[in-house]
Amino acid sequence: MINLIGINRKIDLTMLLSVILLCIYGAIAVFSATQSNASASGDQYFLLKKEILAMLIGFIALIVMTLGDYNRWKTYIVPLYILNIVLLMVVLAIGSSHKGAQSWFEIGSFQLQPSEFSKLILIVTLASFFANRRSQLDSIQDLGMSLLHVGIPLLLVLLQPDLGTALCYVAILLGMMLVAGFPARHFAILAIAGIIVVFCAVQFHVLQDYQLSRLTVFVNPDNDPRGAGYNLLQSKIAVGSGQFFGKGLFSGTQTRLQFLPERHTDFIFSVIGEEAGFIGAALLLILFLVLIVRGIRTAAYSKNMFGTLLAAGIVSLWLFQILVNIGMTIGLMPITGIPLPFVSYGNSSLMVHLMSVGILLNVYTRSYV
Amino acid sequence: MKLIDATFDKNVKPDDARPRLMVLMFVAFTIFAVLISRLWILQVMGGQKYMALAEGNYIRDLPIEAPRGLIFDRSGKVLVNNRPSIGITLSPPVAEKNPRIINRLAGILHISSSDIREKLAEKKADPLKPRVIARDIDDKTLAYIEEHKMGLPGVDVVTESIRSYPFGSLGAHVFGYLGEISQEEMQSKKNNGSYALGDIIGKSGAESVYEGLLRGQKGSEQIEVNASGRPLSIIKKQEPLPGSNLMLSLDLSLQQVTEQALKDAMQQARNTGTGAKANGGAAIVLDPRNGDVLAMASLPTYDPALFIGGISKKNWQQLIDKKTNFPLNNRAIMAYAPGSTFKPVTLIGALADGIIKTNDTFDCGGKWLGLGKKWARWCWDHAGHGTVGLTRGMAESCDVVFYSIGYKFYKTGGERLQYWARVFGIGSLTGIDLPMEAKGRVPDKQWKEKINDGNPEYQRWYPGDTVNIAIGQGDILATPLQMASLYAAIANGGILYRPHVGKAMISWDGNVKREFKLKPEDKRKLDISKDIIRFNQDALEKTVTQGTAAAAFSGFSTRVAGKTGTAQVRGKGDYAWFAGYAPVEEPRYVVVVMVEQGGHGGTIAAPAARKILAAAMGIPDRGAGYVNDLSR
Repeated sequence: MINLIGINRKIDLTMLLSVILLCIYGAIAVFSATQSNASASGDQYFLLKKEILAMLIGFIALIVMTLGDYNRWKTYIVPLYILNIVLLMVVLAIGSSHKGAQSWFEIGSFQLQPSEFSKLILIVTLASFFANRRSQLDSIQDLGMSLLHVGIPLLLVLLQPDLGTALCYVAILLGMMLVAGFPARHFAILAIAGIIVVFCAVQFHVLQDYQLSRLTVFVNPDNDPRGAGYNLLQSKIAVGSGQFFGKGLFSGTQTRLQFLPERHTDFIFSVIGEEAGFIGAALLLILFLVLIVRGIRTAAYSKNMFGTLLAAGIVSLWLFQILVNIGMTIGLMPITGIPLPFVSYGNSSLMVHLMSVGILLNVYTRSYV
Repeated sequence: MKLIDATFDKNVKPDDARPRLMVLMFVAFTIFAVLISRLWILQVMGGQKYMALAEGNYIRDLPIEAPRGLIFDRSGKVLVNNRPSIGITLSPPVAEKNPRIINRLAGILHISSSDIREKLAEKKADPLKPRVIARDIDDKTLAYIEEHKMGLPGVDVVTESIRSYPFGSLGAHVFGYLGEISQEEMQSKKNNGSYALGDIIGKSGAESVYEGLLRGQKGSEQIEVNASGRPLSIIKKQEPLPGSNLMLSLDLSLQQVTEQALKDAMQQARNTGTGAKANGGAAIVLDPRNGDVLAMASLPTYDPALFIGGISKKNWQQLIDKKTNFPLNNRAIMAYAPGSTFKPVTLIGALADGIIKTNDTFDCGGKWLGLGKKWARWCWDHAGHGTVGLTRGMAESCDVVFYSIGYKFYKTGGERLQYWARVFGIGSLTGIDLPMEAKGRVPDKQWKEKINDGNPEYQRWYPGDTVNIAIGQGDILATPLQMASLYAAIANGGILYRPHVGKAMISWDGNVKREFKLKPEDKRKLDISKDIIRFNQDALEKTVTQGTAAAAFSGFSTRVAGKTGTAQVRGKGDYAWFAGYAPVEEPRYVVVVMVEQGGHGGTIAAPAARKILAAAMGIPDRGAGYVNDLSR
């Protein structure tokens, strides 16, 4: 025991354990969500196998990310930033389309989604960008440069169009700006600018009506139960009908009978809510909370600002994705295609988040050296 | 590079970020608190509500229609049957989404797409409920549809139990037809079992009166469906309870004979110039011993099979068109001027009141001047009958005799003639177990005042009014059924039974048979002495042997009593009537035949009655041959 605690000081075993549990949790949920429809096409383990393969690759990437000194990455800000832009442009040019968004590279039976990776690259370049500043980051130029830094990739993902990833960028930016110490007035400027952008987007029909209704229907899904509100309504029914103890693993009627849309990706939490009940959902949230707290702790104990900012960016991303993903399945948030870290099916997403854990572990380990 | 790093680290320490990380921590805890409490609200507090919604999602309660009870004749022959039919249904919402399916289906089923649209648009039933758009699909079409099911969304094959009528239109007015329940019927049947929109119920005839008995009890099936509504498995099944079978008092072969005899009579009326317009009629055979309706015919008739699955607009228009003479009307229970067939009421009433004696005689010079020369009334025989007694007066239907009796009734006051008409059931429902029965009409002073409200000059009751009633003319109206039950009372010595077509209920498995017993109120003893009735019976037999019906019944081997009638209707041809019974010594059959604008009763109605009676009693009879009797 004592020895374990000792190890825990060197590598964050708590975080690692919670991540492993989340991954197992996710794999079971994905299996439950996909077995009914996959069985019709033959192999009911097909998606599970792919997910586990991605998980293995992800854990290798995690280990790779913990190796070496993360401080050296800071110097690669320009090539990393260019890589990010190039990836996003290439996927726009030659990526394959799926559900109206051109976001994927097909590699064999694997689909890679550069926008997932770009989130992590952005966190690294932004952390480096902030950490390299000499000033106190309180001038309007600092704000402008930060916006420019995020703005270019953001425009590129909006072109796919991938609103979810774009919002993740914003969340990363805000979280890292907060921790980097931007003054409050900068946030106020951003808030006003945000309101103006949203207003213009609605006013000048940048958003199609269906997109708008998809984003606003969560306020009252009963208005359109067969259209835009359908997904949300079915999801709420799934989660709510799970009650305290859940319907039992693989026994969710909403899941099994395919009332739930996108049940292995965006709506994976509904499956958990239905089959594992309040107990299971709360357990999942606690695992996430442990992860977040350990992440913030890592940020706090980092020996330098770069590490702090890396951790803050990753934590912000997670927080945002958890809030939006779970929030949308229970009617608190608009429905946007943002996966639940470690749990939703998605090879790229899983790899990226495991790599993020690797980065945090790296920062954590160095803080005690 | 290292230099910059070092510089920065000196200026901004990670320690400075700690308060800001606390903000991040606070945000994180807030987010988790919000999510957890939302989950608590959803899953723990609202769990049961959402559980019910989830069950509503995947469990469908499908009703299973109960087979309707069959209808038998009195000896157990099937009159109305059920048979399975393979039909094609189309789901309205799916058709709305894929309008092309309608044309495609129209091509496959060889029906017009507007017919399909009409069926889909029927508003009465649940808008989501699939509509049957074709029945009795042939095997080839069925195979084609099964094969191409993938390309025909919303299309389904169903097996239904539908009514079949082995004898076509026979007895249509007695059985009645079926149709979809209407909003009003839903309302009135609310306390009466679980009716749902789209249910098929009896709309007329015995089907409607015995609806509750024939209907049975729907079963239900709880099935599990997936999100696209495809059934996956049966969770629970409750078999339907078939309806009970109804045995009617009708006799199948007698019904056939009666309808044929009526049809022939109408045809003959059209052939003889007098009744060129004869296009409607009714005939009834009644058992005078208990009120059993043995046969009831009404022409023109219709094929109840037209109503299966909802009658088409075109067919319905035809059925309610004046040109087709309203075939849906059951003329046996509609009101007509009874003409001379009413005369027994006048005679019996007058004898019972003592205003005439059985040996009274009257002088008939072809017309009656009782109200003065200005108001002379003709006997049908303008040559006059000479001195006639009551018996001959009845037998030859001498109008002068009955004008005189009518005038006596007027003079004694108290509207006694109307009283006797009512005693015999005219002006009130017989209470037969069929819907839409007419009451008929017994005109009196009060009625005349009311009907001429605002025209004081027409409100006065004249002696001529009573005199008219006495020969069954004027404003008096009776249904053929009322006349049948009236003659039944004469035949059986004075008991008025409630006529009925329902005889027994037989449980669906045939094990239990429950006869419908006569209740005390279904049987009314008339307070008339036996002698008076006997006197009248003799007079009616004389009518057949020597009087106005003699030609029609010449050579008939059984004793028959009866009365012809030729009712004059303003603006129309004469209505031919015959009402009578046989055998006289022990009456078992009362027959009434009425042909609208058929001409003379003795010519048209009585020969038809002869055929019916012969068949009823199993007498080989070659019929009356050509009869031409111009009496009333």
